[in-house]
Amino acid sequence: MAARVKDLYGDFVRTFGNVLFAVCLFVVWGLLTLVGVVVDQGKDAPAYFASYAAPIARAILRLQFDNVYHSPWYVGTIGLILLSLTVCTFKRVIPARLPPLHPVKVDKIPLHAVYDVAGDAAGVRRKVAAWFAERGWQVRDRVFDGVEWTFADKHNWARRGVLIAHLGFVIIAAGTTIYWARGFSGETAVFSGQAVDVPETHAVIRLDDFHYTIQPIMTKSGIVYQPIDYVSHVTVTGKDAVPRKEVVRVNHPIDVDGTLYYQSSYGFGMRFVVTHDGRTVPGLPGRVLFEGESFDIPATARSVTYERFVPTVDKQSGLPSADPRVNDPAVALGATENGRSLGDALFALGSSVDLGEGWRVVPERYVLYSGFQYRYDPGIPLVGIGAFVLLGGLIVSFYFLPARLYVRVDEDGPGRSRVGMAATTVKGYDVFSNEFERLVVRLKEVTEP
Amino acid sequence: MKMSLDEVLMVTALGSYVLAALALLVYFFSREEWLQHVGAPLAILGCVAQFAQLVARYELTGVWPLLNLYGSLSLFAAMAVAIYIGFAFRYKAWWAGGFVVGLAAIFLAYGVTWNEGTMPPVPSLQSYWAKIHVPLVVSSYAAFLVSFVFSCAYLMKYYAERAFAREVAFAAEGGATVAAAAAGNPLAQWMQTLPTLAQLDTIVYRAVAIGLPLISIGIITGAMWAKESWGAYWQWDPKETAALFSWIVYLAYMHLHTRHSWRGLRTNWVSVLGFLSILFCYFGVNIWISGLHSYKL
Ligand code: HEM
Repeated sequence: MAARVKDLYGDFVRTFGNVLFAVCLFVVWGLLTLVGVVVDQGKDAPAYFASYAAPIARAILRLQFDNVYHSPWYVGTIGLILLSLTVCTFKRVIPARLPPLHPVKVDKIPLHAVYDVAGDAAGVRRKVAAWFAERGWQVRDRVFDGVEWTFADKHNWARRGVLIAHLGFVIIAAGTTIYWARGFSGETAVFSGQAVDVPETHAVIRLDDFHYTIQPIMTKSGIVYQPIDYVSHVTVTGKDAVPRKEVVRVNHPIDVDGTLYYQSSYGFGMRFVVTHDGRTVPGLPGRVLFEGESFDIPATARSVTYERFVPTVDKQSGLPSADPRVNDPAVALGATENGRSLGDALFALGSSVDLGEGWRVVPERYVLYSGFQYRYDPGIPLVGIGAFVLLGGLIVSFYFLPARLYVRVDEDGPGRSRVGMAATTVKGYDVFSNEFERLVVRLKEVTEP
Repeated sequence: MKMSLDEVLMVTALGSYVLAALALLVYFFSREEWLQHVGAPLAILGCVAQFAQLVARYELTGVWPLLNLYGSLSLFAAMAVAIYIGFAFRYKAWWAGGFVVGLAAIFLAYGVTWNEGTMPPVPSLQSYWAKIHVPLVVSSYAAFLVSFVFSCAYLMKYYAERAFAREVAFAAEGGATVAAAAAGNPLAQWMQTLPTLAQLDTIVYRAVAIGLPLISIGIITGAMWAKESWGAYWQWDPKETAALFSWIVYLAYMHLHTRHSWRGLRTNWVSVLGFLSILFCYFGVNIWISGLHSYKL
C-alpha cells in the first residue's frame, strides 16, 4: 500500500513537475480563453439559440461557455496551473538553481575552446581568474583529482528569475481569489434630483446634476457625434453619515468607504401624465420610467411601454436622427393588449397619445439619469504587487543569462600552457555562442605574455 | 495642392519604406552588397520620418495621435522597423529587411485608409494611461512582428535543410545545407548565406524576449487604466482577453524554449501562431467583435 502511494506520488510529481505538462495546461487555458473571445458572454439562453444552430447553442450552454471564465473548466485549469507551478518550483526549479561545481570534459561541451599560450600554468591561471573577476564574474578555484579548475559564474543571482516570475503569478492568483471571496460589484442608476441607497454598502448617492458634452465633428465619412465629457455632480453619504459633494467623471472614480464608484452610463427617464376623459389620473404611472419599462392602463387590458428616448427627430423624414443631443426630442412608445402588440410609434414630447376608451397619455418631460458602477475589491493591492513581481521575473529571466565557465590550465611543455575552456548556461548553448567567441578572443589576448 | 508637414512626413515614410523594402527584398535573393547599402538607410529614413510625423501630428492637432487605428498602426509600423533596425545591426540581419519593412509599409498604408482627420478623444480615452498603455501594447506587437519574420526564415531554412538531407547521402559536418552547397546545389549555396538555424532561433528568442515583457506591462497598465475608467481591472472584454490569449501563447513559447528538444522547429511554429494571434487581437477583435474597446461609454 505504502509503495503504491509512493508510486502514485512519484507519478504525480513527474507529471506536474514537467514543463511540457505546463505547456499542455497553457494550451487548454489559451483555448478556453479564446472561447470567451469568440462566444458572447453572459447572454441569456434564447440569445445563443438566435445566434447559433441549436446543437451548438445547447453545447455552449451545457459546457457553460456562456460564462466560461467562471466555469469549473476555467477555474480548474488555473488551479491545475498553480498546482503544477508549485510542484515544478519545488521539485525542479529550486534544486536546479545552483548546480554544484564539478569538472567537465571540455571538448564534449558544444561551447568550448582549447588553445596554447606561453607561460607557466599557475601564472596563466592567475591571469584568467583575475580577468574574469575584474569583469564581475564570480570566480572560484577547486581541485578535482589533482586538476585545478577555475569556475567563473555570471549573473548567478538571475537564476532566481523563474522563481520570481512564478511567485508573481501566484500572488496575482491570490489577489483575484480575495475579490471572489470578499469583494462585490454592481450597477446603479440615479435620476437627477433623486437619491439611491447602494445595497451592499448602504452608501446613499444623490445625483444633484448630470451633464454631458457631445461635439459634432466633420470627418471624411460624414458627421460624427463625438462624446467629450460626462459629469455627475453627486452628494454621497457614507458610513460617517456626513454628506459630501463629489464629482464623478469617466476616468475619475470616487472612493466611498473603500468602494469605488465609476461613471458608466447615462440615459433619459420619462415622466408621463395619464388622463381619462380629460382628467389627470394621479399616481399613474407614479414615477419616472426607465427605457423598457411599462405601465398598465386601469380597467383595460392595455399597457404602454416607454421603449426608447429619441433626442432628435429629423425634421424632414420624421425619423430618429443620429444626433444624440437633445434638440427635438421624441419618445418611442409601444402598446399591448392582453400581451399582444398593438404596434409602436414615435411621439414628440408633450404630444397627447390616444389610447382609446377616453384614455390618453402625454410623455411630459424627460429626466436625465446617470449610471454608476461600483466595486469593492480588497485584492487590488495584491494583484498590483503580483503584476510587478511577475514583470521583474520576466525581465530577470530574459535579460540576465546565468552562465558558467569551466577553465582548466595544464602545463604543456616547459614554459607553455594549454587553456581549455567550456561554457554552459541555463538556456542551452546557442544563446551564448557569440559572447563565448568574443570571450575566447579577449582571453587569448589577455593570456598572451 | 499644398501638403501639411505631417502629410509630407507620411509620404516620405511610406515612400522610403516601399523603396527600402524593394531594395532589401532584392538583396535577400541576390546578395548584392550595394542593395543593402541603399535599403538600410532608406529604412532608417522612413522610420525617423514616421516618428517625426507622429510628433508633428501631436503638435499640430494637440490630440494624442495613437487613439485610433490610423495612429496605432503608424506606431506599430514605426516600432517594428525601429526594433528590426536594432536587430539588423546587432545580428547583421539586413537580409530580413524586405519582409519587415514591407509588412510595415503595408500596415502603414492600411492605417492611412483609416485616417478620419482630427477627432478629440471620447471620455474613456482621455487619460494619461492612454499615453502609456497604447505605446507599450503596440510596441509589443511590433516586436512580435520581428520575431514572426525571423521564425518564418527559421522554418524556411529548416525545411530546406530537411530536403537537402534527403539529397546528400550522409549528414556532413556543419549540416545538410553545407554538404549540399559543397555538392554544388545553388539553392543550398544561397541558403548558406543565412544565419544558422541556431542563430535564427536565438534572434527569435531575443525578439520574443522584448515582446513578452512589453505585452505584460501593456496588459498590466491596461488593467490599471480599466480600473480607473470602467471600474474593474479586468472585465473579460474580448480585446483584453485576446491579448491574454497571445500572452499565453508566448508564455508557452518561452517554456518550450527552456527544453532543448523543443527548441527550434516547434518553438518557431508557436512563434508564428503567436503572431497570428496578435493579428487577431489587433484587427479581428476590432472588426468582428464589439466590446468595451470599441470605445463607447
Ligand atoms: C503550469 C505551471 C508552470 C510550470 C510547471 C512552469 C515551469 C517552469 C520551468 C520548469 C521553467 C524553466 C526552468 C529552467 O529550466 O530554467 C520555467 C521557466 C519560466 N516560467 Fe514557468 N512554469 C509554469 C507557469 C508559469 C507562469 C504562469 C509564468 C508566468 C506568469 C511562468 C513564467 C516563467 C518564466 C518567465 C520562466 C523563464 C523562462 C526563460 O528563462 O526563458 N511560468 N517555468
